[in-house]
Amino acid sequence: MSAQLDTEFREFMHGRWPAMVRLAYALTGDQGHAEDVAQAAFARAYASWPKVRRTGNPEAYVRRIVINENRNRFRKQRVTERLTDTPPEPGSGAGAGPGADATSQYDERSALMAALRRLGPRQRAVVVLRYWLGLTEAEAAAELNCSVGTVKSQASRALATLRQSTELVDGGSQ
Amino acid sequence: MSIDDERDLHERLDGAVEAIAPRPAPVDGVMRRGRVIRWRRRAVAVAAVAVVAAGAVAVPSLRHAAAQHQPATSHYTATVQAPGPHSPPGLIASGTVNGQRWALTAGRPGAGGAGRGQQFVIASGPAFGPDGTTDSAPAFAAPATEPVSFTGIVCGPSQAAYGPVAADVSYVAVRLGNGIVLTLHPVRVYGVRLVGFAIPVSAPVVSATAYSARGEIATAIPFSDGGISSFVTWLRPGQSGLARASGLVGSGSYLGKAWSVRAYLGPWGACLVGQAGGEAAGSSCEEVTSVSRNGTGMWLWTGGDPALAMGSAGPSVARIAVTSPDGKTTQVHPVAVGGVRFFAFAFGQGPKHWKWTAYDGSGHAITSGDVVPT
Repeated sequence: MSAQLDTEFREFMHGRWPAMVRLAYALTGDQGHAEDVAQAAFARAYASWPKVRRTGNPEAYVRRIVINENRNRFRKQRVTERLTDTPPEPGSGAGAGPGADATSQYDERSALMAALRRLGPRQRAVVVLRYWLGLTEAEAAAELNCSVGTVKSQASRALATLRQSTELVDGGSQ
Repeated sequence: MSIDDERDLHERLDGAVEAIAPRPAPVDGVMRRGRVIRWRRRAVAVAAVAVVAAGAVAVPSLRHAAAQHQPATSHYTATVQAPGPHSPPGLIASGTVNGQRWALTAGRPGAGGAGRGQQFVIASGPAFGPDGTTDSAPAFAAPATEPVSFTGIVCGPSQAAYGPVAADVSYVAVRLGNGIVLTLHPVRVYGVRLVGFAIPVSAPVVSATAYSARGEIATAIPFSDGGISSFVTWLRPGQSGLARASGLVGSGSYLGKAWSVRAYLGPWGACLVGQAGGEAAGSSCEEVTSVSRNGTGMWLWTGGDPALAMGSAGPSVARIAVTSPDGKTTQVHPVAVGGVRFFAFAFGQGPKHWKWTAYDGSGHAITSGDVVPT
């Protein structure tokens, strides 16, 4: 690949890396896993960069790979995700920091992510696409290659699960 | 804290997600990994050509019948042995293929430029050709549900599979088409129990069975495409999986190039295999154990000339409308193979997205998506 294309890819990745890691974090609930997924997605994009750049919207391409990578990891490898009864240890994760406020914010975030981890991969993806990225039901269905009805039902079930989640009800302050 | 409404959920998600601070973009590592992906694509293509040239599979449409039901050849040997106490660090397994040595070695997670959370696996030895290969993937971890999580590679004249095993797996028996049984003993490598083996690229794997101290855990009957065996579905004792069936899902000529997509169902699940312009275009397997659970979705789209799209269609899908970037629409009808409905179509070259929409008999859109020939 030419040096010019490499430079172009470097600029693209530097610019979009944080957004893709955050998307993957919302899907996986784990920053380490999120960075793995984002790396895999960017690597696949780089492997086909001459074609990807011609799509005119490489970000959309990478976003779809992130969603698929996460789904594939869950379905085929099942090596990265374990359901646990406790939120992850603070320290290197999101929002770790000193003081009562930081601890409280950390507890709230970790409780939310723990509750999300109890959802299946598709329900979690629906929640992230619909309620974080703000996609319409039709747009989320297109991203997930499923029907609008499936998005509706998965969203409904996911919200019901989240509302009944003990992590959220208890305030995540174990 | 509770989720009172959708806005509340959005705000909480936003707060949680925006709070994380990603480390600097690992551009160099990603580009190295991308080059490995490109290299592997070429290696698989070369291996597939080599297999065809050897006469092991003369007719593409018969390849899977041959691979699944009878050995392409029985004149090969394969051995495997677990590392001993004086083996080099990271060694997963070693052995011979047709008398030539091979070794599979894992790098330390994050080391050697693998990046955080990544791990290299090195396939080395004459059995893998003059150069061997290095594969980069997320660091190994014990599988949560299946007994073994195999990754397949093709390198030179050999294929290999390796991966982590569940805690209760004592050993894995891999049965080959000529009757050879390779017994894989898990070895702990950087904290994770792994197994691995290598065989000739044209040698079919009949089954892999994982055993615990109490007996059989599950058996996978893999599907083989391009020399890589896909272990997607693990059947517990007493489970039979799908009945074997195969059939043409779609075929035709696009801009003068012939294409076809065939479905192969069986205990391995369901696999769709594409051919375009006389070459293997790609395949995708799904863990399907019941025809009644078949949904609608795009499984895979490929690059190539022409590009191919393939997926499954639920029982209510009557047709799939495919719309090109310039607005022309063609209709594709699902085809049932073994009770599971599939669809496939060829689409053009170029960077633009093509749209597909599945409709029911009343003309209502069920689902849609887009594909791009990349």
